[in-house]
Amino acid sequence: MPTILEVENLSKKYGDFEAVKGINFSVEEGEVFGLLGPNGAGKTQTISMLTGVIPPTSGTARISGHDLHSDMDEVKKVNGLVPQDLALYPTLSARVNLNFFGRIYGLRGKELKDRVEDVLRIVALTDRADETVDKYSGGMKRRVNIAAGLVHQPQLLFLDEPTVGVDPQSRNHIFESVQRLNRERGMSVVYTSHYMEEVELLCSRVAIIDEGKIIAMDTVKNLIGILGGGIIYVGLEKVDDALLEQLAQLPAVSEAALVPPPVMPPPSEGEEPIAEADPVVTNPVVKIVAENSQQAVVNVISFLNDQDRPLTSLEILEPNLESVFLHLTGKKLRE
Amino acid sequence: MKSLSVALKDLQIMLTDRGELIQLFLLPLVFIIVFSGALGAIGSGEEDTRLPLPIVDLDGGEAAEALQAGLEAAGGVRPEIFDQAEAQRQIDGNEISRMLVIPADFTSGTQAGQVVELRLVSHPDADTQETEAVRLVVVGVTSDLALEQQIMASLRQMGEMQANVQEGGEVFNTERVLAQARSQFERAQTQPLIDISQTVPTQSGEREELPDLDLLAISGIAVLFVFATAQVTARSIYDEKKVGSFRRLLAAPMSKSSILAGKMLPNIVVGLIQFAVIFAFGVFGMRLFGLSSASIGNDLLAVFLVCLVITLCSTALGILLAAIARTENQIGGLSTLVVWGLGILGGAFIPIFILDQYLGPVVKLVPQYWANRALSSLMLRGLGLADVAIEIAVLLGFTLIFFLIGLWRFDFD
Repeated sequence: MPTILEVENLSKKYGDFEAVKGINFSVEEGEVFGLLGPNGAGKTQTISMLTGVIPPTSGTARISGHDLHSDMDEVKKVNGLVPQDLALYPTLSARVNLNFFGRIYGLRGKELKDRVEDVLRIVALTDRADETVDKYSGGMKRRVNIAAGLVHQPQLLFLDEPTVGVDPQSRNHIFESVQRLNRERGMSVVYTSHYMEEVELLCSRVAIIDEGKIIAMDTVKNLIGILGGGIIYVGLEKVDDALLEQLAQLPAVSEAALVPPPVMPPPSEGEEPIAEADPVVTNPVVKIVAENSQQAVVNVISFLNDQDRPLTSLEILEPNLESVFLHLTGKKLRE
Repeated sequence: MKSLSVALKDLQIMLTDRGELIQLFLLPLVFIIVFSGALGAIGSGEEDTRLPLPIVDLDGGEAAEALQAGLEAAGGVRPEIFDQAEAQRQIDGNEISRMLVIPADFTSGTQAGQVVELRLVSHPDADTQETEAVRLVVVGVTSDLALEQQIMASLRQMGEMQANVQEGGEVFNTERVLAQARSQFERAQTQPLIDISQTVPTQSGEREELPDLDLLAISGIAVLFVFATAQVTARSIYDEKKVGSFRRLLAAPMSKSSILAGKMLPNIVVGLIQFAVIFAFGVFGMRLFGLSSASIGNDLLAVFLVCLVITLCSTALGILLAAIARTENQIGGLSTLVVWGLGILGGAFIPIFILDQYLGPVVKLVPQYWANRALSSLMLRGLGLADVAIEIAVLLGFTLIFFLIGLWRFDFD
């Protein structure tokens, strides 16, 4: 498959703060590519650079063969952007909004009219197209928001968190629309979200992004495969290196490691340190990567009983992108 | 073309906002009605508008009384008898602007057919046009009075001559009397018996003629509200950024300058429509409210150019406001200061010649001052394009400064 988007060492700095740290990835034609990461990971900044909203500090990208720096006008014609915000004019009707967004991409006359009708059909709003947007429900506004990014028939559509604040019905509708655009019209899509279920459902490949860096990138299946059969967190009163080694040798277990204890943040300025209070004592937690979680749990519990080591806690995580993210960063996606 | 699409979209949004339409087009007319009425009452009202004319009567005779009665009847001036010393004291202290001195030999001289001299004394700072108006009234009354005095003296003389003629003799028949009267009339025209000497005032500085105060409100309010559209531009850009549609514009294949041009065009269109609506109301609508009709001057092209420059300046100010203000509250606060504060300082409600007098050069730092000055010159004083070249140049200077600072500070990210 030819590549429609190729990103090379793209970075964005604001003073000393580096929002995007030299990322590299590519998207093939007809692919739905996911950028998964928590809020503030750098997803929107990345999309903003690729769509010409903000200039990159360094690095570049080629979209449909056009360079981001030297051929921005062509890049913009190829791209479609659906921003995270409801970027619409609420006192105008959906049709007037779409007409406007078509005109700024150079569409006129019958072509514009046909395109507007087409995207209204795609988002199933033809019947209510002449109502002002401020009278729509949140989900309907989201659908018009998507339609506005489609009206000029982009080859590469950037969808930035398109389901934030949307009811389940509208969310499903948005998923269907994206799948249909990809399947029937061959549209390439870059889809950002912090909902792993969405990315798992829609995307063939995913880049997991955190603190401005891509920390993993592969197909959803391969990413989940990192965890094998899942992750087991076991709380114990005391842990030593020998125990960790013995746990890692158990059948159906591929890895065992001590989870670093949480670091207490220093008291903020002007705040008195709690000197008198007793320090909170937390039991050590061992993270076990399982080849088969059910079998591993049985083996681990049996081994610890034999060793007369009582469990203080037990948590089993099914293998999915959420647990992959937790495994890779030690943080939850929605923290 | 894409700029035009952005502009048309903004105008469509504006048309859906009744509050904004009222603020832009209806509120100025309400302000004009209120302020024209108020200023008109100050300017004309019920009080005596005749020019006061202190008279020092050193004669006290029949002709002096006739002169005073003639001045009173002529209108235009309000004669008031003053003691000579008091009148001199007041004119020295600039408490009165001028006085008319009737000499002691006024009655005897005019009756004897001799030339007598009235003195019209003015303070150096007295308004020359007012002094000229007073002089013309005095000339009119005195020429009638001199003619009357001369004809009466002739008739008396002819009567005395006829009485000395023997019975049945006729010295003055009707034809001779008419010829004598015609001769006296012509003499009065060419050799007036009453001369008016005038102390030519040496003015200490040019003083602006007081225009019709009620008409000042039209240009003042027009300038105020056209500059208020700067707030609309700034808010439109802020809203566009707030809802995220500005990102969509940036992502579209159009340059940043095209986006800005699209955001500025509606301000220019709305500003020109505001001027048209307000001026049309001034010319045709004021009468409906019992107010004086306005004139838009003698040079329509100059008025249009000044209006265009004012709207450009207001538009650039809108870009500057959008660039400086980071929050909705900041836009509101800055707009209140810049549009209303500077608008009032620039002569929206107070005539600029009064502001000049009391605030001095400070008002010259305000673009609205130059806008009001240009429009007043064209509309109230009937001047032409060449007479407002300085005002236009200053306004274009303000426009350039606002626009460059606005571009420099504008946050496209």
